[in-house]
Parts: sequence; C-alpha cells; structure tokens
Amino acid sequence: MIKLRNVSKIYPNGARALIGVNLKIAKGEFVFLVGPSGAGKSTLIKLLYREEIATRGQVLINNVNLVRLKNSQIPALRRNMGVIFQDFKLLPNKTVFENVAFALQVIGKNKKEVKESTLTVLDLVGLSSKVNAFPAELSGGEQQRVCVARALVNRPGILIADEPTGNLDVDTAWGIVDLLDKINKYGTTVVMATHALQIVEQMNKRVVRVEGGKIIEDKAEEEVRLGI
Amino acid sequence: MAFNSVRYILVQGLVSLKRNVWLSLASILTVAVSLILLGSSIIFLANTSTIAKTFESQVQIAVFLDDKLNDGQVTAIQNRIKNLPGIESVTLTTKEQALWDFQESMSTTSLLEDLGGINPFPDKITIVATDPKLVQGIASQVEKISGVESVRYGQGILEKLLAFTNWLRWIGVAVVAAFAFAALLLISLSIKTNVNSREKEIQIMRLVGASNSFVRWPFIIEGLVVGLIGALIAVAAVGFAYTWLLQYIISSLAFIPVVASQQFLLMVFIIMILGGMLMGTLASVISVRKFLRF
Ligand SMILES: Nc1ncnc2c1ncn2[C@@H]1O[C@H](COP(=O)(O)OP(=O)(O)O)[C@@H](O)[C@H]1O
Ligand SMILES: [Mg+2]
Repeated sequence: MIKLRNVSKIYPNGARALIGVNLKIAKGEFVFLVGPSGAGKSTLIKLLYREEIATRGQVLINNVNLVRLKNSQIPALRRNMGVIFQDFKLLPNKTVFENVAFALQVIGKNKKEVKESTLTVLDLVGLSSKVNAFPAELSGGEQQRVCVARALVNRPGILIADEPTGNLDVDTAWGIVDLLDKINKYGTTVVMATHALQIVEQMNKRVVRVEGGKIIEDKAEEEVRLGI
Repeated sequence: MAFNSVRYILVQGLVSLKRNVWLSLASILTVAVSLILLGSSIIFLANTSTIAKTFESQVQIAVFLDDKLNDGQVTAIQNRIKNLPGIESVTLTTKEQALWDFQESMSTTSLLEDLGGINPFPDKITIVATDPKLVQGIASQVEKISGVESVRYGQGILEKLLAFTNWLRWIGVAVVAAFAFAALLLISLSIKTNVNSREKEIQIMRLVGASNSFVRWPFIIEGLVVGLIGALIAVAAVGFAYTWLLQYIISSLAFIPVVASQQFLLMVFIIMILGGMLMGTLASVISVRKFLRF
C-alpha cells in the first residue's frame, strides 16, 4: 500500500531531512514512527500526503509514484487519506458538526450524504453529544477526536497522524490511541509519528525508528511483543 | 461541476462577505473610490480631448492675395495650394464675397457707396490643414508663392495652443493610468487580508482534498461581488456628479465644448462596471495564488 524506495529529502535550505529511506507498509497495518525531535518523522509524513516532494527515490501509494504526481492529482490522493496533527487545525467559528461536514462539502458531496456520514463518524469517535459545540468549548482530547472524525469522514484507506497526542495528557492520549486502534481494526491503515514511548511500548505494534534522516530500526509486531 | 458544489461555492463567497463585514465594506469602498477616480479620469480625458480637438480645428490659415491678380491667376494659386501636402480644404472668399458678408453683418445695403466705390477687401483663401502641426510649414510655403500678399494663422498662439492641448492629453492619460494602478493595488491588498484571515480554512480544504478550483472560486465570487457593488456605487456617484456638472457648464460656461452624449456616458459606466468586476476577480486570483501551487 505504502512503499518508499531509496527516498531522500533535502530542503531548499540544504537540510538533509531524509537519507536513502526504504519502507514498506502493508494494507491494514498500524505503524508507529518514533525517533528524537528533528529525526525526519514529520518530513516522512509530509511526503506521504504530498505536502513535500522527495528529492530522490520513489514514494508509492497504491502503486502511484507521488514524486511524479501532477498538482491537479493531489486532491484525489488526499481524498483517500486522513491526516491529523498535534495542533488540531479546527475552524474556531464552525461547530463540531460543521468542522467535520466541511471536509465533505468541499469535495462536493450532497447535503444528505454530508449529514449522514458526519453524524455516523461523530458517533464513532464518541462525540454525538457535542455536535453543536464550538471547538473552544471542548477539551484537547475532544478537539483531537473531532480531527479524527474529520480525517475519517470520507472513509479513507490510510490515516496519517503526526504526533496526535503531543498536546494531550497521558490519559487523554491513551483515549486517542485506542480510537486509532479501533479504526485500524475496521481496516484502515494507520501511520502515527510520536514521542510517547510509553504508549508505543504497550501497544505491541510495528515500530519504525528514525534518526538523523535514516531508519535505524524496524520492529514488526511480533518482535515487539516478544521484546526482541 | 455538480450543483452541490456551485451552491456551496456561491454560499461560501457570500457568507464570507457577511462574516468579514468591515473588511468587505472597506474593499467595496476602495473599489468605489478607485472607480470614481477612473470614471472621472475617462470623462476628463474625453473632454480634454474634445476641447483640444475643437481648438485645433479652429486653427486656419488665411491667405490674402495681391489686388491686381485676375481670376485665372487666383485659380492658379488656389490649385498650387491644393497640391501641397497636408491640405484638408482650400476655400476662396472673393473680394466681392467679403464685401457682401461684411455688408450683411453691418445690416446695411449701401456699403460700397459709403466707401466711395472702392472695395477695400482683398481676395482671401482659407486653408484648413489635415493636422494642426503642419500649419506652420504650409504657411511658410504659401508665403513664397508670388501673388500672395500676406499669410496669417495666429503665429505664436498656435504653437502655444498645441503645446497646451498635448499637455492636457498626457495629463489625462497619466491620471487614468495612475488611478487604475492604485485601484488594483488597493483591492488586491484588501482581498489579501481576507485570504490571510482564512489561511487555516484554505489549508484544511487542501488537506481534505478540495480541488484547487473549489478553493479559489469562493474568493473569486467574493472579489466579483465586491467589484460589482463598488462599481455600482461609483457609477451612481459619477452619474449624478457629471449630470450636475454638465447642467452647470451648459447653462453658464456654454463656450466650453463638453461631451454630453448618452452613449458616451453609457460606455463609461460599462467600462467602470466591467473594470470593477475585472479588478475584483484579478485581485482575488492574485491573492489566493500564493496558497495554491498551480
Ligand atoms: N520546511 C523545512 N525547511 C527546511 N528544513 C526543514 C523543514 N522542515 C524540517 N526541516 C529540517 O529537517 C529535519 C527533520 O525535521 P522533521 O521532519 O520536522 O523532524 P521530526 O518531525 O522528526 O522532528 C530537521 O533538521 C529540520 O530542521
Ligand atoms: Mg515533527
């Protein structure tokens, strides 16, 4: 589903964020990206949703090379993936419902579809009672749930998360990770960059460790479980 | 594009106008002021050009002929002048005609007797040049023709008039250009403020896979509506002001040749409205481009 072949990313200012990265993620996997700050995690994630373009190598999603993707094809790519961030990126003047519905409206869905899908996904993330609240009236965890709902409302095959729990306390963070796990169990591929080692250790999922722009360790689920 | 999308885009364009009501009003006012200046400039330019043309067309060369010439010689001189380059028309006023005209203007019938039987008027040829700039050259050539007594064309005055009318034209063009530029700058500035205030919204739209046109269109609609409303205000203002000014000039400064035709005003108004819409659209396209990598 996701394949990186010998990928390097050098920013215009000369910063070498990724160097010769190879990575394969199968459909339905749950993968943690870990590593110190500045390791290149965010860069890797940006390559996946084509916010940045690899300087060298191939970034393949469903066998489409994003390096060659035309700008006009970016919307189609992003409609098949949800992205969430540390800062939630919610619109403060829209309600919870409107924030989620927005993602469907701007890709041209009709009113009925928008309403049904939005209410369904808000139920999934456990926010049915907060439909008409504004972001400022929600806790951090609840705001991140709105973001998850918005990322999922279009039923994408891939969910990408860049430090989604970075702004949350441990308990709330666990709530979000459990939610992502649940979504993964429904069949969505999840890639999550994080600093929260405690969570990573307990989750028993594949862990890809990045440092200095290189993948220095790639532990599969089984190895994590066995503590190899 | 599907009906849903069109409706969404229209609603978004209008909602954002309402949401940022002060910013929208500021933009509309900017457009209106700019277009008032633009419209006034066009009207000013048209009038300047008409005044200049009127003055210029009044420049003629009067050629006075020797008293002793016979009819054949007069015709010959007339023909020589006709063959010079840059001649629009050549009209002969015979001494008899001149006397007759003068007598008419004096409301008398016995002028010739009063003057003791001698007609003091010379034969006169009036030349109109195709271009007032050629007048001086033509005059000096005509002076050299034998049988020509004297040539008058308002020497000195003409040169000054030409310089003045040229100057007026350039001022007109400069004023239009300056204000058109200022208008574009101002609208694009206020739309840019608007786009910046919605940077997050655009970012999210792109993130969830909205097409570029979907992101761009609400802003274009917004710009278009701002431009249109601004233009309508400007048209009303310029329309009232010019009508009032025309009435004043026609009633008390009738010698100034003003442009008062309905068609001309209609044309100016259409230019203003199209200009407003174009400026609004252009300004939004320029302002959102930064967020969309085409
Ligand atoms: N837009 C950018 N321009 C220039 N350098 C950047 C940019 N984004 C990240 N970098 C650099 O690339 C390296 C990797 O950064 P990043 O991918 O954000 O790491 P992480 O998310 O693991 O903290 C860092 O050295 C960072 O300074
Ligand atoms: Mg990062």
